Amino acid sequence: MKKRIISMILMLTMAVGMTACGSSGSGSESTETETTEETDAASEAEGDFVGTITLGMIGPMTGSLAVYGTHVSNGVLMAVDEINAAGGVMLSDGAYELAVSSKDDQGDSTECLNAMNALIADGIELVIGSATSGCTSSITSVANSEGVVLITPSGTADALTTEMDYVFRACFKDSFQGELAAQYAADEGYTKVGIVYCSADTYSAGLRDSFSAACETLGIEVVAEESVATMTEVDYTNQFNKMVSAGAELVFVPFYYDVTGPYLVPQARSAGFDGVLLGADGVDNTETTISEGTDLSVYNDFLFVNHYSTELATSDVSVSFVENYEATYGDTPNNFDALGYDCVLILAQAMESCGACDAESVQAALADTSVTYEVATGTFSFDETGTPIKTGVLMGYEYNEGDEEVTKIAVKTLSVE
Amino acid sequence: MKKNNVGRRYLINFIATVVFFILALVICGNGGSRMKLSIVPSIWQCCYLIIMAASLNLVLGFLGQLSLGHCGFMAGGAYSAALISLAFQRVGFYEEKSGIAFLLVLLLSIVAAGVLAALLGVLVGIPALRLKGDYLAIITLGFGMIIVNVINNIPFCGQQGLGQGSASSALYATGLGFSNDEKVQYLWVALLAVILCLSLMFMFVRSKYGRAIRSIRDNEIASESSGVNVNYYKVLTFTVSAFFAGVTGALYACSNAALATTSFAFTNGSILNSVFIVVMVVVGGMGSLTGSVIAAVVLFLLNYTIKNGAWVAALPAFLQNVFTYPMLVYSIALIIVIVFRPKGIMGSSEFALCDIPKWKGRLQQYFASRKAGKEEIRHE
Repeated sequence: MKKRIISMILMLTMAVGMTACGSSGSGSESTETETTEETDAASEAEGDFVGTITLGMIGPMTGSLAVYGTHVSNGVLMAVDEINAAGGVMLSDGAYELAVSSKDDQGDSTECLNAMNALIADGIELVIGSATSGCTSSITSVANSEGVVLITPSGTADALTTEMDYVFRACFKDSFQGELAAQYAADEGYTKVGIVYCSADTYSAGLRDSFSAACETLGIEVVAEESVATMTEVDYTNQFNKMVSAGAELVFVPFYYDVTGPYLVPQARSAGFDGVLLGADGVDNTETTISEGTDLSVYNDFLFVNHYSTELATSDVSVSFVENYEATYGDTPNNFDALGYDCVLILAQAMESCGACDAESVQAALADTSVTYEVATGTFSFDETGTPIKTGVLMGYEYNEGDEEVTKIAVKTLSVE
Repeated sequence: MKKNNVGRRYLINFIATVVFFILALVICGNGGSRMKLSIVPSIWQCCYLIIMAASLNLVLGFLGQLSLGHCGFMAGGAYSAALISLAFQRVGFYEEKSGIAFLLVLLLSIVAAGVLAALLGVLVGIPALRLKGDYLAIITLGFGMIIVNVINNIPFCGQQGLGQGSASSALYATGLGFSNDEKVQYLWVALLAVILCLSLMFMFVRSKYGRAIRSIRDNEIASESSGVNVNYYKVLTFTVSAFFAGVTGALYACSNAALATTSFAFTNGSILNSVFIVVMVVVGGMGSLTGSVIAAVVLFLLNYTIKNGAWVAALPAFLQNVFTYPMLVYSIALIIVIVFRPKGIMGSSEFALCDIPKWKGRLQQYFASRKAGKEEIRHE
């Protein structure tokens, strides 16, 4: 019995110890509660809010994709704070303050569905979520059948919004990235390009399809095309030998940052390929995965298409977003922060334009393709499926010989002609 | 006399099950929106977790072999059920999700999912069950990964097909995937599946096959020398277990409108993965089907209420911080169970409705024996 009591105590100590670590780490949760309390106090003192509109938020706050969820949440909470500080959302019967109810899906589709149902049961009609295409695809149909507006900050899979009237997104879609990449190749005057991709992965195969289709219309010849078995493949030597022998001037590589840094880029260079390697938004953060001892000059001419760059965004909204973000969180915002922030701004603008906050009116307001939204990631309007018509940016890596570092550079803004 | 007693027990259990079934349907059918949005989807999830845990218990608890790839069978069942229903819809066999035609397709896809998984079970079982212990665990683990990769690379059902995007909404709109309203309407399918599957499993473990299987678990050499064909019984159990896992897959496809192979992986963020099913069996008690039912429901509720329950908000702030990391809570719960009750909630005994009147006596007996035991230790 003594042993058992001791083990219980040890376990509790462990749990409390973990909590101590946890509470400092989970900044976003504590910010959330503080925000609500502050705004409550403000509304009581001033008495100028007629009521509260609660936005639902679903994202992977824990688990292997937690980085995505926490960044989206940072952006969302910041936007809500800013709007409340500026007097809330003006509807037809007065100003409302915004609040956020956030749920964790751990990056799993069943959990995501449960979270969505729970939010709907709480009477929430406007939901921001989820961060990945896989999770989002499991809740789009519920959003549509229950009549709840769903806006995904970063679900890029093409089909998410096509058949669903109530589903919108703040980012561009995968096939558009492929078109942007092909447009870049055409602008630079390349005529022979190659593709290395993974046929078993939606993201990679989808980008490959749209890139090669766009190349065909732009008159660029795809001279070689090689596939690998998985997205975590570690050997690309054979594929790049074929690229070199086929004479490709640019190779399109739709992979994620975990393989491009340590394997793909160094192996491509050692196979003798010295042209441009062009990736998509998954390549962002490659600088964190470069192995020690790699010849850093190989990362020159490694470019990728991305949603947003803090350097190229020059509108007032973008500049104030970056400044506020740095002041609030002490860090430079990434894609997910900006897209989460944009979701709130888009919803707020739609609510103000229709003067109501019920799902049906907001859906009608969002479905109006003539409205222009000026938000942190750019100025755009929605197409008829609910996907923004926007521009992308071309970013890349550059080796600085002076300080022995690979730095990320923003090259230019891309758009499809 | 004894035979009559057994007959009475069966009758009582049968009546209780029927009453439970009808009550559940009546209550769930007339509930409000909270019933539709949270309780009915939860019951669906509980249903597939219960069958999943109980079917693994056949292999792990009754046969005594560790299988780490059980979700592989479920994946096979889920994808085959989804594809069959979509195929019937595309040829125009049924237009909307009601009527006899759809019910037939539903039944066919559930049974076909089970049969396909059973075939996979035979295929894996024949070579794998010549091994035992750790080696079998490694083979089944490999199988679970192989099946996920095979599904990923089949063009019409892999990630480009049912995994994401339009096809998943197609599964929802035209195939098996149920919306919240349809989940209420077809709740009887899930409940009936659980009742039938559990009854079949009970009959299986109580039959002469069940006795043979338990003898293999207790002593393989002794049972072989008494004339039990060990390899045959091992493959048989594996197949039966895989069949029920396939049925689970079909229920999963109904309950989750989108299928993604990551849901059937060795480990992932949720409670549906091969490792967590093993955990359910161990927590419930290896060799107790009712234990698996209890453990599946308890672990589901733990997982669900951590994220969606109101009671977490009522806890003091420092405890709430623990609950933002659900995995930490599961592990603490597991440690508690293993420390205080190493053989699981039910051990190897079953819950029986007719034994409830005897509980008082048993509890008294238990405490008396504990007291006596302590006295003894003190004397020593």
